[in-house]
Amino acid sequence: MQTAISVGIDATLITFSLALAAFGLAIIYGLVGVINLGHGAMLTLGAYLTWYAVESGAPFFVAVLFAAVGVGLIGLVFEHLVIRHFYHRPFDTLLLTWGFFLISTELIKIIFGTSFRSVPSPFPSAIQTPFYDVPAYKAFVAGITVVLLLATALVLLKTPIGIKIRALIQNREMASLLGLNIAATYKLVFGFGCFMAGLAGGLLAPMLSIDPYIGNDFLIRSFFVVIVGGIGQILGGTLLGSFFIGGSETILAVVSSQVVAQVAVFFIAILILRFRPQGIFGEK
Amino acid sequence: MRAKFANTLHGERAVALVVFALLAFLPGVIGGYPIYILPQYLLFGALAMSLGLLWGWVGIVSFGQAAFFAIGAYGMGLVMQAGLGGWGGYLGIVCGVLAGASLAAIAGYFLFTAGVKSTYFVLVTLALSIIVEQLAVSQSGITGGYNGLFVDRMALALGPLGNIPLTGDVASYYAVLVVVPILYFGLKALTQSSFGKILVGIRENEDRMTALGYNVSLYKSAAFMLSGALAGIAGALYATHAGFVSPSLAGVTFSTEVVVWVAIGGRLSLLGALAGGVIVSALSNYLSSISPQYWQLALGFIFILVIMFSRDGIAGAFAAMANGISRWSRKERQLSEPYRKDSRG
Repeated sequence: MQTAISVGIDATLITFSLALAAFGLAIIYGLVGVINLGHGAMLTLGAYLTWYAVESGAPFFVAVLFAAVGVGLIGLVFEHLVIRHFYHRPFDTLLLTWGFFLISTELIKIIFGTSFRSVPSPFPSAIQTPFYDVPAYKAFVAGITVVLLLATALVLLKTPIGIKIRALIQNREMASLLGLNIAATYKLVFGFGCFMAGLAGGLLAPMLSIDPYIGNDFLIRSFFVVIVGGIGQILGGTLLGSFFIGGSETILAVVSSQVVAQVAVFFIAILILRFRPQGIFGEK
Repeated sequence: MRAKFANTLHGERAVALVVFALLAFLPGVIGGYPIYILPQYLLFGALAMSLGLLWGWVGIVSFGQAAFFAIGAYGMGLVMQAGLGGWGGYLGIVCGVLAGASLAAIAGYFLFTAGVKSTYFVLVTLALSIIVEQLAVSQSGITGGYNGLFVDRMALALGPLGNIPLTGDVASYYAVLVVVPILYFGLKALTQSSFGKILVGIRENEDRMTALGYNVSLYKSAAFMLSGALAGIAGALYATHAGFVSPSLAGVTFSTEVVVWVAIGGRLSLLGALAGGVIVSALSNYLSSISPQYWQLALGFIFILVIMFSRDGIAGAFAAMANGISRWSRKERQLSEPYRKDSRG
């Protein structure tokens, strides 16, 4: 019983941190159709910028915001210089964002070095429950994730800019004919996705020992989250996919080793991608 | 305009022949480290060709070629450890090829029959290389885990004539220099056969080829299987040449390095891919000792620039030059269109 509860709590916490990590990717892929292979590098960059700001004496949350804005701006520059010319060639954007990954990973190594860094957790204690001590910071991140997802849902569904973005996805030509500035909207969405990646990197930083490759781990899992959850299902899909990938990995890790669990989950994700490319609950 | 590009590259085989011939004379001129290391670069070149075949002729990109390379390498390593004497090396190569080919065939058939998009194919193959790396690390009883596997140099068993050990660097240099040209010319012939033409048809218009009655997914799977087999044989030979196999051979970093080689060398030319693999990996090794990070950084920029501005890489630039020269000499300038004006897109 006790194990079941602790595994359940672990799985829930991992679901939310994975959803946070995948969110920026889901936004960019779901809304502008770019498979951002630079997403992992953006998470890493967010973590490093947070570390840098904290080291320079900034309070943790200021540092995270700094990282998110920094990665968002870098993403905007990359979009402006490169990506915006290739929206009509999705496969090339995939390769170009991979180039972004190569460049930013090397820049991180040059600027920050390759040794492990760590960011002290702002809430190092644990919440005591009768069965299990819940790490306070992880619980906090889960809460933030829920707030971010709901806020984004609100923006997409209720505000003028959200309506414009949805109009653009539904019918690009028509939206353009009605006077919607497509280039600016794409830029906004791409920048927001990068901002989210930076934010996720910053928020996840205290849970990780930071090295230039931490993003790699998240990259593939984030993609499987998005694919399993269903593309374009930015909110529910992300949560569902995260629950599936993160949750099943946690549960499988209890009965076997971590490596076997990860390999098994990758296999299952590939099976889903093969048989239900629209996501588990997506409609054709 | 692709056809014109292909025409220019008909001279490619002649160029390749000259290069291979020059390489054959190399051990007479220099010795030592270059002769030791060059076969490994040539095998990386063969690995690059395995991706070049996919990218150039089928129009799909695999981020998992290193997985097949590593499987081939581990196959060779394990067979060599079994201590089968002179014939062990051959068996190792066969095992490497079969392992690479069957994994690629299964993965390819599984994905292509469902019409999985080329973007998802990238992700799945990337995951494949992570899976192989993780398994190589975790199954340390078989693979040696992080510590890797030491592999002896194979011998050329000639039956009643005895064995020629390839422990010497010059001997194994020539062994590789026989295999890689065979792979190149074989692959080249294949791409110009009807099989190659069907692949190009699929690349250009999959629906039309389906309508014409071709089993598109079968052809794609066959091409992928071939590519896996090629990567497998390159890996097997690499293992016995380098003497060491480690999980990083399947890693994401190495997998994507192959993509960079082919992009820079030229995805529409097998020789371009081969040259890309040899030159970029040689430069990486050389410059890594001087300034590893700035070189990798430069590679990243070059990669982006190649994808943005020059789909055909170095080989394309050479072809354009050759095209220009022949056009100029024939004084056909007023009749011909500008080279490749419309091939982007």
